[in-house]
Amino acid sequence: MSNEGDRFSTGIPGLDTILGGGVFEGGIYIIQGAPGAGKTILGNQICFAHAAQGHQAFYVTLLAESHARMIGHMRRLEFFDEAAIPDRMSYVGAFKTLEDDGLRGLLEVVRREVRTRKASILVLDGLITVHEKARSDLELKKFIHELQTQAAFSNCTMFLLTSSLDPQTSPPEHTMVDGLIELQTSLHGRRAERELQVHKLRGSWFMGGRHSYRIAAGGVSVFPRIEALLETPSVWDGADGPMVPFGIAGMDKMFGGGIDTHSVTVVLGPSGSGKTTAGLQFLCGGPADQPAMWFGFHENPMALQIKAAALKLPLDARGDSISLLWRPQTEAILDEVATELLTAIKARGVRRLVIDGIDGFAKLTDEKNRVGSFLSALCNELRALGVTTLATAETDHAGITPGQPLAGVNQTGLSAVAENIIALHLAALRSETYRLMSVLKARNRRTDMRMRRFDIVEGGIALEIDQRGAEDILRGLSSQGAPPPPSPDPKLTGE
Amino acid sequence: MRTVLIVEDEWAIADWLEVLLSENGYNVLSAGNGREALDILHRETPDLLLTDFMMPFLDGAGLVAAMKDNPATRDIPVVVMTSLLESVVRDRVAGYRAYLRKPFREADLMKVVGEILG
Repeated sequence: MSNEGDRFSTGIPGLDTILGGGVFEGGIYIIQGAPGAGKTILGNQICFAHAAQGHQAFYVTLLAESHARMIGHMRRLEFFDEAAIPDRMSYVGAFKTLEDDGLRGLLEVVRREVRTRKASILVLDGLITVHEKARSDLELKKFIHELQTQAAFSNCTMFLLTSSLDPQTSPPEHTMVDGLIELQTSLHGRRAERELQVHKLRGSWFMGGRHSYRIAAGGVSVFPRIEALLETPSVWDGADGPMVPFGIAGMDKMFGGGIDTHSVTVVLGPSGSGKTTAGLQFLCGGPADQPAMWFGFHENPMALQIKAAALKLPLDARGDSISLLWRPQTEAILDEVATELLTAIKARGVRRLVIDGIDGFAKLTDEKNRVGSFLSALCNELRALGVTTLATAETDHAGITPGQPLAGVNQTGLSAVAENIIALHLAALRSETYRLMSVLKARNRRTDMRMRRFDIVEGGIALEIDQRGAEDILRGLSSQGAPPPPSPDPKLTGE
Repeated sequence: MRTVLIVEDEWAIADWLEVLLSENGYNVLSAGNGREALDILHRETPDLLLTDFMMPFLDGAGLVAAMKDNPATRDIPVVVMTSLLESVVRDRVAGYRAYLRKPFREADLMKVVGEILG
């Protein structure tokens, strides 16, 4: 737990970012949520993070689970440190005191224990019980006020945990405390997603709105909404650097010598058109010692290695300079996945990235109106980090309509995130199926937009040197009649 | 009738211990923390003291240390009940008779009490 002026870290991954830099020393914060929301884990995790820094933390329970059960549950979590108890982290029960001596008795327990233990963090688990015990709103306000005084004078930061109250009423203590954090669960179809919202934080900017969190073996991790976190990229985007090779013979020429270092190229195409192959060639197409990464939702690393070996691409030979990240979409959280991706990129210094199935991000959320701004923020950050990105996206099998070679390809919403858009097509001509490629967009670049026929052979995509093969196929398609009109494809529209 | 003093800040556990020991024929006294226990020990001399470890005002270690300093209470056998490892208790509490790891079963408690009080 690091101190920065009069603020310090909560020790909860992601939470300090949302709080604009942690909580204030000597402040009082309410953490509110329904049973099962994770308040007790959050409270314990804050205490153990504090204790791990050599400070004193103190956990007071009222009508909560017994300490034995609580400690038994916490033992299963990675932040739990048996050695911290009781010298740096201790638990006391104060319900009996509250029952016998009322709110004043509880204040006396807090005052005395904070002083004798020199505690700089206190968690009071069960504020709702104090609420119920208070004879009036005024008595409750006086209790909070005295607690504030104790917190300020003893420089002890206090977290008051409480169950959700009636949302129609605003409890009096909410107006008095320095911060209010709510934990809640939202249902998306049958899937439940945990969400954290900071409603109030005195003396500081904070990231509003709801943010996903997860409770796992490491405890609570919060994932700030990417479009809020990266409203502007985390680093200045110099937007310069040399053009980089695509990795597919002939493609660099079509793009006038290569693609920009700080760019996102989207490769669209139906299943089987060669998107993954293009991605693998791009991945292996940079300098041998340059860190590169594959991030995909579909094929696992083993499947990719087999595919690369079949294509005779040097994926294995690149060793640790290429990393393969596979993130199945089952129960994944959009912002968690993006955070993992960006963290891995920064940790490994990745300069060349393939996102296999960028449309997969849209499947991680029901909030379709988020997707456009999410992708925009993510891609802006990738550019700013100096990453050259190739992203694949699947289209339907509408095929090619003669005279309208781009029919069946929905590019709505991609313009904002991609400098370059490449379409791969499958064209069925009599009994043969051919592969064709066209460049739909190349920002700020003179581009050869004529369609090319290509095959997938050893070494990957073999692009024909000019457009003649593609024109032969288009002529043939014209003579055999047009396929049915394509159906609208909502992917990646963000609408 | 033998008397047992329970020192426990968690009211539900204290209640459960009181009922259990009463049903098994013991006279029970109860304190919510070490400070309250010392008050009781000024006027009563229980045959056995069952104490929690982490409590407000005065914890189990402080209570036992104070008892050992007082000739009137130093020989009262003490059982420490806690969810912490016994090594933690051993380092901080001198002269306790037995250790019970929470959550313990009724039979474990009665066995320890029976062995000490005969």
